[in-house]
Amino acid sequence: MISEWFSRFRFFLRRDILTRRRTSELDDELQFHVEQSTAVKMAQGMTLEEARRSALIEFGGVEQARERCQEQEPGWWIDALIQDVRYGLRGFRRSKAFAVSAVLTLALAIGATTAVFSVVDRILFRALPYTDAGQLVSVGITVASQPEEFMTGRFYLDWQANHKPFAEIAAQGDTPHPCDLVENNPAELQCVTFQAGMLPMLGVSPALGRNFLPEEDEPHGPPVVMISYALWQGHYGGDRQIIGRQINIDENLARVVCVLPQGFQFPTLEAADIVKPMALDPALQNKVNGGFGDTMLTFARLKPGVSLAEAQAEMQPVSDPEMAWLPERMRNLTRLSIRSLRAREIGDARRMAWILLGAVAAVLLIACANVGGLMVARGAARQRELAVRAALGASRWRLARQGLTEALLLALAGAAAGLALAEGLLRVFVAMAPAGVPFLGKAHLDLRIAAFTVLLSLACGVVFGLTTALHRPDGLMATVRSTLSRKHVRLRRGLVMAQIAASVVLLAGAALLLRSFQRIEEQRLGFATHSLMTAQIALPEFRYNTDAKWMEFHLQVEQAMRGVPGVTAVAFTDSVPPGGWQAKLRYSDLIVKGRPPTPPGFGGWIAWRLVTPGYFQALDIPVIRGRGFTDKDSTGNVPLVVLSRLAAARLFPGEDPTGKYSVRGPGGTWFTVSGVADDAKNGGLTSDEEPEIYFLRRDVADDWKDRRSVLVIRSALPEATMAGFLQGVVHNLDPTVPVEMEPMTETVNRLADRPRFETALLGFFALMGLAMAAVGIYGILAYLTSQRTQEIGVRMALGATRSNILGLIARDGLRMVSAGGAVGLAAALGLAHVLRALLYQTSAYDTLAFLAVPVVLCVAAGAAILLPAQAGMRVQPASALRNE
Amino acid sequence: MPTSTELLQGTLDLLILQTLATGPMHGWGVAQRIQQVSKDVLQIGQGSLYPALHRLEYKGWIRADWGNSENNRRAKFYSLTRTGKKRLETELEDWDRLSAAVALVLGRIPEASS
Repeated sequence: MISEWFSRFRFFLRRDILTRRRTSELDDELQFHVEQSTAVKMAQGMTLEEARRSALIEFGGVEQARERCQEQEPGWWIDALIQDVRYGLRGFRRSKAFAVSAVLTLALAIGATTAVFSVVDRILFRALPYTDAGQLVSVGITVASQPEEFMTGRFYLDWQANHKPFAEIAAQGDTPHPCDLVENNPAELQCVTFQAGMLPMLGVSPALGRNFLPEEDEPHGPPVVMISYALWQGHYGGDRQIIGRQINIDENLARVVCVLPQGFQFPTLEAADIVKPMALDPALQNKVNGGFGDTMLTFARLKPGVSLAEAQAEMQPVSDPEMAWLPERMRNLTRLSIRSLRAREIGDARRMAWILLGAVAAVLLIACANVGGLMVARGAARQRELAVRAALGASRWRLARQGLTEALLLALAGAAAGLALAEGLLRVFVAMAPAGVPFLGKAHLDLRIAAFTVLLSLACGVVFGLTTALHRPDGLMATVRSTLSRKHVRLRRGLVMAQIAASVVLLAGAALLLRSFQRIEEQRLGFATHSLMTAQIALPEFRYNTDAKWMEFHLQVEQAMRGVPGVTAVAFTDSVPPGGWQAKLRYSDLIVKGRPPTPPGFGGWIAWRLVTPGYFQALDIPVIRGRGFTDKDSTGNVPLVVLSRLAAARLFPGEDPTGKYSVRGPGGTWFTVSGVADDAKNGGLTSDEEPEIYFLRRDVADDWKDRRSVLVIRSALPEATMAGFLQGVVHNLDPTVPVEMEPMTETVNRLADRPRFETALLGFFALMGLAMAAVGIYGILAYLTSQRTQEIGVRMALGATRSNILGLIARDGLRMVSAGGAVGLAAALGLAHVLRALLYQTSAYDTLAFLAVPVVLCVAAGAAILLPAQAGMRVQPASALRNE
Repeated sequence: MPTSTELLQGTLDLLILQTLATGPMHGWGVAQRIQQVSKDVLQIGQGSLYPALHRLEYKGWIRADWGNSENNRRAKFYSLTRTGKKRLETELEDWDRLSAAVALVLGRIPEASS
């Protein structure tokens, strides 16, 4: 094989000299044949003239014989290929517009498709990295406020004992939480707990060491841990002696028994560095956490052949008696849930991924139609050339081969540019993408899909290129100009209309998302984001190790900041709206003085915040009844709360609770209701407000037990100035403490990352599609206009005005636009419901969006129509007629 | 005028090899020889002859040398190479097997017809 290639290569190098010699030898040989034949015929009595003529006739086509002899030579196709390539390149140089637009179209299509597919591949198609991952499920119960299934120890014990449809079942103790590695080289890590059955159930074996033993997964078992591959490599330098070593986690010594494999995917996708045994204590599960037992997440492997529905049906009888234990009010809200692990890991990214994929498929179709249209146009423009070549003896195969080579050249150039574009786009995606798009960090260019798109666009080019190349070129075409290309024109019209229809669908989708995004941006948040800043002060806990020291520092900062000129209000809170973490408690945890308690259970949730008096002023949340907190309250000994309008309406419907009622929180303290504040957006940008309760954080060490503190400052001064002031204040108190500040507008902006990402992407694809469709319209009209130059000349000579000519050309374009647009709008209306889940307070049939689409289309199409029409108007009748 | 007979696929190669077995010959000679020997039944058109000669040359079964013809004109003479000779033997064996088999199928016993 190698030697064969080597000899071919050598042959290739000497090709020129050899070819020339061979050609002349071949000519000699064939010449000799004809001479011999002539001599024989002369011997039979013919004259020299006659003999030669007859010999040549008998011989047949000398050219053909030569070509066929040359084709016997090994590797002759290299020459032919080079010739085709040269010819093709020369052609491209002559029609640069064609070559550039074809390559650009291909590059855009290949780039966008490859980038999008690289992102969605793992979300939609790739199996999870576990053995036989299709059988893995996430099981548990869901409640209204907690749509992701979870499990509590009380139920889990029953499930473990009766896991009929499951071959294996194993639990993870809640989600990863911070923990400290205490040693000379300390580190803050993420810890999580697994049952011993977890790794075997996932079908994952350790990179080093062994899984937990059953006795290690019991209460008070020997302390052991697994460590992640990243921690092993990064912190321990990949030392194989790590197995068996004692490490100190949160002041507890534990022996490392296992290094998890590289790239191990935690079932919740939240990576941890340390895995401890869960050591579930069955004796405690009916007692702790209000009798529910420890909360955990459970995963299972279905027995072979058992479907999700069957598993659900089999587990229902196990779960029903458990549900009966719940208070009746909760029972309706609680459900048994079994879904594939994949569904849990991917979550709602799935819908977005499908929509992206659909959008990019539409772009790919438009691009293919564009390339097809370009090839048809080129084929039509070259009819004369092809006819001439055919007349000179080029076979149809030879012409087809030429077309094929050209399509290949275009595809290669397009692929190279497209891959570069894909790499860039992928980076943009990763940079732009909101948090929570799974596997985005692992996304890399998928060469398989790049190859697929190259092939697809190549196929478009070849199919449409060949239809014209194979269209029997006959002698007539060398002389006749336009009449015979009618078929091509019809084909191109169809392609252009398809492009318009597809781009209208994309435009409609983008318009809907844009409307929804606009609603998100313009909605009333319930507090003023401008001139509002939040700051995190990273106070080291080991030096400020008592509640009093902690409070002292924060109160000093608050006091100092209030004195800064230009600052309107300052407050400390444990969390800030409108999104992000916030504390929640159950209604049943709240007891109103003088009323029977709500029965215990999950119930509804109520958000709460722990704030210093300046909070309402700082966020500009109006207090609508009673009063907010004052500085005097901070030093007083009456604990106070302010309710949000929603919370007040729920707890005290139709009443003004101000001053009249007290509520008791889980801590046992009674708080007097001092006022009602207006609702503020607190459950993220796209969900409704949750009821909220504000507790006053007084100047009492106990109120600072929870260390979470965010400083909120209202000031018209620029953020940089304010950050300087704050740094100065903190530095005065403790020079080692770092401060981080962010304007609230940025925080809110980040929350809109996801809809912004979706809108931007779909908008980008829609514009791309529209641009290509416009190029398509322009292309065909410009072609038709140039073909009709003579006709236009005649019309003008006969008295047609410029506006007549404009109408003539524009009418044709408008017909395509309206037909394609109508089909596209119908399809868009049919498909709009797909987007419903992504839309916020926007109907899938939003009138404005669907009115905007035709307008945008008309503007783009108008430009594409006007350019060739103008060219038509500029035709000088005299010169147009003289030309022929 | 004898009717030209369609040559069985691959038979032309065999005819050329067999003809060249008698000694070096140029293209014209090969065509003439086949026509003579077959009593004008087989007429090899140059359109297939020369491509076949070139194909055999590239396969290394025959060799080409430039020499002088009977009328002292420069011509290309083809001769069998050693691999060509071996090839001819196997091709002949194949041919015998094939023609015997065809004769059997057609219901003609070779001994009776020859």
